Amino acid sequence: MITYGVVTALLAMSPLFLNKYWVDVLNNVGLYAILGLSLNIIVGHAGLFNLGHAAFYAVGAYTAAIFNTRFNIPVLWLLPLCACSAGLFAAIVMRPIIHLRGDYLCIVTIGLGEIVRIALINDVFGITGGANGIFGIDRPSIFGIAIRRPHEFFYLIWGFVAVAVFLFYRLENSRFGRALNYLREDEVAAEGSGINVAHYKLACFVIGAAWAGMVGNVFASKMTIISPESFSFWESVLIFTLILLGGSASIPGVILGALLIVGLPEVFRGIANARMLIFGGAMIAMMIFRTEGILPPRPRKYTLSDDSSGESRA
Amino acid sequence: MKKILFLTVAFCLIAATAFGASTIKIGLMAPLTGAWASEGQDMKQIVELLAAELNAQGGLLGKTVEIISADDGGDPKTAALAAQKLVVQDVVGAIGTYGSSITEASQNIYDESKVIQIANGSTAVRLTAKGLKYFFRTSPRDDEQGRVGVQALQKLGYKNVAILHDNTTYAKGLAEEAKALLQKKGVKIVFYDALTPGERDYTAILTKLKSARPDGVFFTGYYPECGLLLRQKKEMNWNVPFLGGDANNNPDLIKIAGKDAAEGFHFLSPPVPQDLPSKEASDFLRAYKKKYGSTPGSIWAVLSGDGFRVLTAAIKATKSTNSDTVAKYLHKKLRNYPGLTGTISFDDKGDRVGEVYRVYRVNAKGQFILQP
Amino acid sequence: MEEFFQQLTNGLAVGAIYALIALGYTMVYGVLKLINFAHGELFTIGSYLGLTLLTSLGLSGFFGPVLGVLLLALMVMGLVAVVGALLERTAYRPLRESPRLSAVVSALGASIFFQNAVMLIYGARLQVYPQGILPRTAVNLFGLYLPLVKLLILLASVVIMAALYVYIHKTRIGTAIRAAAIDQGAARLMGIDVDRVILIVFLIGPALGGLAGLMVGLLYGQINFTMGWVYGLKAFTAAILGGIGNIPGAMVGGILLGVIEAMGAAYISIAWKDAIAFVVLILILIVRPTGLLGERVAEKV
Repeated sequence: MITYGVVTALLAMSPLFLNKYWVDVLNNVGLYAILGLSLNIIVGHAGLFNLGHAAFYAVGAYTAAIFNTRFNIPVLWLLPLCACSAGLFAAIVMRPIIHLRGDYLCIVTIGLGEIVRIALINDVFGITGGANGIFGIDRPSIFGIAIRRPHEFFYLIWGFVAVAVFLFYRLENSRFGRALNYLREDEVAAEGSGINVAHYKLACFVIGAAWAGMVGNVFASKMTIISPESFSFWESVLIFTLILLGGSASIPGVILGALLIVGLPEVFRGIANARMLIFGGAMIAMMIFRTEGILPPRPRKYTLSDDSSGESRA
Repeated sequence: MKKILFLTVAFCLIAATAFGASTIKIGLMAPLTGAWASEGQDMKQIVELLAAELNAQGGLLGKTVEIISADDGGDPKTAALAAQKLVVQDVVGAIGTYGSSITEASQNIYDESKVIQIANGSTAVRLTAKGLKYFFRTSPRDDEQGRVGVQALQKLGYKNVAILHDNTTYAKGLAEEAKALLQKKGVKIVFYDALTPGERDYTAILTKLKSARPDGVFFTGYYPECGLLLRQKKEMNWNVPFLGGDANNNPDLIKIAGKDAAEGFHFLSPPVPQDLPSKEASDFLRAYKKKYGSTPGSIWAVLSGDGFRVLTAAIKATKSTNSDTVAKYLHKKLRNYPGLTGTISFDDKGDRVGEVYRVYRVNAKGQFILQP
Repeated sequence: MEEFFQQLTNGLAVGAIYALIALGYTMVYGVLKLINFAHGELFTIGSYLGLTLLTSLGLSGFFGPVLGVLLLALMVMGLVAVVGALLERTAYRPLRESPRLSAVVSALGASIFFQNAVMLIYGARLQVYPQGILPRTAVNLFGLYLPLVKLLILLASVVIMAALYVYIHKTRIGTAIRAAAIDQGAARLMGIDVDRVILIVFLIGPALGGLAGLMVGLLYGQINFTMGWVYGLKAFTAAILGGIGNIPGAMVGGILLGVIEAMGAAYISIAWKDAIAFVVLILILIVRPTGLLGERVAEKV
């Protein structure tokens, strides 16, 4: 607990002693942390194989971009809209295929990601700007203070991370979270215990998508331009990988994973051309040496109160 | 004791900055990894060669020129981080990059820190429409290429034209420019669609193109696909001529297509150094060949070399590394600078002035012949 | 109508390549329940190794086209099989007892590693196979343009698949592979050396992927280090389409995917063809959740 406290304190003070570049790296870590948390609900807690998360991310980002550039609505006000559009999108597309098993779900989510990306490139309905993407998105502003520099974004993004961590922590430890874990461990038993498996699976996709959509909003306003390249299959792979590297179903694990996934390629910049080679090797090594991820979740603990009698435990 | 320690540290810091001040840092943002790695690595080789030459001649304003490369991975997000990295290292200017949306992701970052950016492979018109004072480009623009392309198509006498692009920002932009202009001139567009880059088998597309019966095909995509298209259409015995955009200017095109398939292919391009009579161009080619054993593959990488040269020329002429001074010089005073791709001047928006594009034709020996 | 048949044959040829690569995916999945994301890179390695062997050994001049290509194919298959076995040993074996998803991440890491290794060794520029190795003749049947080479590739793929099927179903080792695919633990108890079985699977699968790479190089001429990603994804899609773990399924899935792509391009839009292929896949999976030919592997209940 104390380590988390110290780390949080250091993080909060970091813009004071880091230069712009490293603050921006931390900004990206923050965004990926929330993306990781949103996918974690699906992959880590419910055990569903989702490799198309970038599609939800894209829906949120493009919603923000389109509404901001066409109707001049300030970006931060669009957060709820982005969450809804991404969540709704997930609800609609996942509904017919939610019952698919493991690896089939995997390929379908990959397919979804690709379909969304291709639709964006082809300027579907004429609103996505095609390969050019959408540019001229406003930067966010809170009560008139514009957020432009990396330091300012830092507090916005990590504030957002704090809210996400809190909410996901509550979700993990709620009935919903426990139900998800149950169906991850043994779907048939869960169904037998009265959990409507399809309903829960769909719900976790919607929640994950909604959060990803909100991150898309922040991403769009940070970059001020978005294009389909940022939402490729590779992006989904990155988010997926960071969860597993850091420890799936574990909040500190996901944040650590985000730090590794964003930080390592930056640290490896010195090796220029061989940057990604080393990164690939590092991924393999990490999986071999810490299979559960670096910070796997601790098992749930329940304290027994003194007056529970022995027989009900038999 | 503490005082001595403090003074030593302070002295070291000052010495470090003073020491650091004996180099001029120029940034190079390029796709060193990722899908465009071949462009980025060429860019790096050219700029480093030019920097080494400059240093051998005494450096810039008496200081050594140091090239700091940052990989943008061909991806907007990585480019933003790369730009931040360069800015933080106090570069006086940044060369790069290849890919309009990649460049676009970095524009604001350079502008906010007042770092000059000279892009080499970014042809989207809107990049210079934002009023960014410190942004320049040595590459021409899509609308100019569209104009020259349409002129070429008309000169070749095509009445029914098919346009094929690959859905990238660049190719689609060029295709749309060409389409609009051609329709205005009353030429019929019988086909307009995009292929998926990175694949190998384009027979389905060629079959579809064939059934649209065009007189000529304008392909605005890149040379890997173009080479395959030419080769496969020859195998199909379909001989309708193709005109390509400037992304087809690469000797590997002939290797992929084969000499007999490529013969008669026309394309647009800024002139390559091999075709320029100037001394700068031939010196450069000689030096490049000596160091790397081949001629540079990509015209865009050569344009980054031009970016480096105009930046250093401006610094030299103004005797300053202050961005405002240098930018003003580049906008107003730099006129007809002898570049590796022709003469260079910039207008107020940072665009390269003048008609850069020429038409090339491939002959039976697989050589690129500049057309008058 | 002519265009329809022409596009059909175009699709079949492309599909044959997908099928070969998909066979590799499906075999590995059948035994290890692992999606070997690095398989696409094995395909790339096959085509690059083929190029190196071709240019340095000058085979075709020496032995004549047919024998030369055959020899080349055998060498490439052998080399890629070795790479595949090494891959299994370093990146997957340590993770045998671990949760499945860890192995997937390791596979992704291996994919990145291989792709960049090829880039660093061979350079980032694309490479071209020397031309004139394979005959350029085309058969002209009913006005359709059918290159001889593509027909041969299609034929070769069918033959290989048939041979593989016989191997899996009629030989002892094949039975061992099937047993390990159903239940590794029980297979071990029956005295089957599961490690050896897995090794064999990782020799055959990558060999086929490498062969596909060589064919692509010879047929299209142009190769680059990023092509494995796209081909791998498509082959994986094909394997799922046919029913993963199912060998005839991989074949059917590959060919079908090729045809769907060609038809989608021809009749709907070239720019959307990949999206169309995925939509068809999703529709098929909704109707037949375990793929067209279903799985041959028992599901853990």
